[in-house]
Amino acid sequence: MTEFSDDSLALITTLKMAGLTTFFLMLIGTPLAWFLAKMQSRGKVFIEAIVALPLVLPPTVLGFYLLIAFSPQYLPGQLWQEVTGQQLAFSFSALVIGSIFYSLPFVVQPLQKAFEQLGTDYLEAGAMLNAGPLDRFFTLVFPMTKASFITAASLGFAHTVGEFGVVLMIGGNIPGETRVLSIALFDHVEAFNYTQAHTLAISLVIASLVLLSAIYLLNHRPIFQPNSQHNFQGNSRSKHLPQKSGNNGKVT
Amino acid sequence: MMNKLTLNIESDCNQFSLAIDQCLSFSGIVGVFGHSGSGKTTLLRAIAGLNQQTTGSIVFNDHVLLDSNNNKNLKAENRNISMVFQEPRLFPHLNVEQNLDFAIKRCQHSQLNKKDIIELTNITSMLDKNITQLSGGEQQKVALARAILSEPKLLLLDEPLSALDRKSKKELISLLKTVNKKLNLPMIYVSHSSEELQQLAEQLVVIEQGKIIEVGNVHQVFHQLNTTQLIKQQTSLAVTVEEINERHGLVKLGLAEQHIFMSLAQLADDDKELITQLSSLRCYIFASDISITTIEPTNSSIVNQLEAKIIKINQDRSQVLITLQCQQQEFFASISSYSLDKLALSINQNVYIQFKASAVRTLTI
Repeated sequence: MTEFSDDSLALITTLKMAGLTTFFLMLIGTPLAWFLAKMQSRGKVFIEAIVALPLVLPPTVLGFYLLIAFSPQYLPGQLWQEVTGQQLAFSFSALVIGSIFYSLPFVVQPLQKAFEQLGTDYLEAGAMLNAGPLDRFFTLVFPMTKASFITAASLGFAHTVGEFGVVLMIGGNIPGETRVLSIALFDHVEAFNYTQAHTLAISLVIASLVLLSAIYLLNHRPIFQPNSQHNFQGNSRSKHLPQKSGNNGKVT
Repeated sequence: MMNKLTLNIESDCNQFSLAIDQCLSFSGIVGVFGHSGSGKTTLLRAIAGLNQQTTGSIVFNDHVLLDSNNNKNLKAENRNISMVFQEPRLFPHLNVEQNLDFAIKRCQHSQLNKKDIIELTNITSMLDKNITQLSGGEQQKVALARAILSEPKLLLLDEPLSALDRKSKKELISLLKTVNKKLNLPMIYVSHSSEELQQLAEQLVVIEQGKIIEVGNVHQVFHQLNTTQLIKQQTSLAVTVEEINERHGLVKLGLAEQHIFMSLAQLADDDKELITQLSSLRCYIFASDISITTIEPTNSSIVNQLEAKIIKINQDRSQVLITLQCQQQEFFASISSYSLDKLALSINQNVYIQFKASAVRTLTI
């Protein structure tokens, strides 16, 4: 196998991992963000802190604990092995699960912010027009916070592409299975293959730059302005009006 | 058709608890009057189902909305009640027509014709516009049309005009009257503006500190409130329009068998046109604009002079509120205690009340 096809394999593995991770993150992150945005008890702070942990922890710490949890000696790893018949540690599935934890704040935080800023006004108006909770979510909340969903998905994807520490701990560097771009780059550097390393590194830089620019461009041109205040004359009692456009996800 | 709303509810607010036990039978618009923080919006939200902490029971025309003893609490979307809020809350990602369609799609037994309602609310020219292109008054008209098109059994209005300028206010008030009459849609209208309620409501409920303190015919309730600090003391009148005297800028209004004159000068130009088509009108006269004389005034520039009998005298420090009976109508005059002593006024005394044509006020035509 040539170096080139090795890198291509790593690229495919990376895209597959990031794509699947993003898919699951949106599935898990959206209800979690909604729950956090609506939650009023003190426990909220604790859950927020857990969600934000991957932002501050060295990825190797997270990777270390995941490695232990995924090993057949412990319950999560055992359960996995019983259900699927395969070992979880050093598998592609382990990469995806690890990435979900690692990129969770990048999805949850912008969505939570958007849901909080959207407030309850439009939802109440929807309920008064006979729209049930799911109906309200898909016909009101989702279109009004679409930009935040795009931000969340893009950040989740991009952050997963860029991960190294977690993958290093739980991946195992199996070509076509768990060998991702960031690891491939590290291997090139270790082997003094600076040309390949340059090619990979610069491609990652450019791709990330393009993706992030696209997100910021999208956020600077909001799809709509939920703030109708400028059209609402002499309103001194407008405490119910929503604040600013809910589309600027927190980009950490 | 008479509608019946039975309320027996309690709900905790920040400063007080709402406790209402009242049965309302009504056909037209019920007004709920109270100052900011009196609990009137909380009451409306409890009826709508937007305040899920409410306990007790709410029954509207045999339809049980809330019965916490039997663990029944219908969700807002299942109550068949619609609401127009203080701010229009039109969905910004949809244009005007799509906002209307949102309501129509979720209406179970659609009977109204969309086009009719669009024409009735006068929003035909706005259909393809974005929400942000509309003025506050236009937005509120669309919100009203949207609420009507969801075909509720009861329409709640939470200070829908408080953020609008006077012109839009007048336009929407006459629109609400028309809607109420043409569609026979029962409405509860909450406001802290006595002026709006005087125009719209048939019955008035007054709330203070989460409790109902007055209920009844709108004119009578306003007269009851004259002895409280809640409104500016006034006489609330329902009159018929009899004659327009354009040369003198006066409208002759019928009040039982008597007449009073209103000045046309206070009206906007288009209202002057409109008043000729009207048969009846609601207006009010502030108690401070009515004066009392014990002998018949003959050479006065004040056009309205009526004979009346004093039936009540309320003295509050230096200010005195005199209630007078003039045939079937009560009038309220506020005078100083100095004048009370000087004229030696007493109950059952016959006097004359006087007020200028410009003292007869009305919010809408």
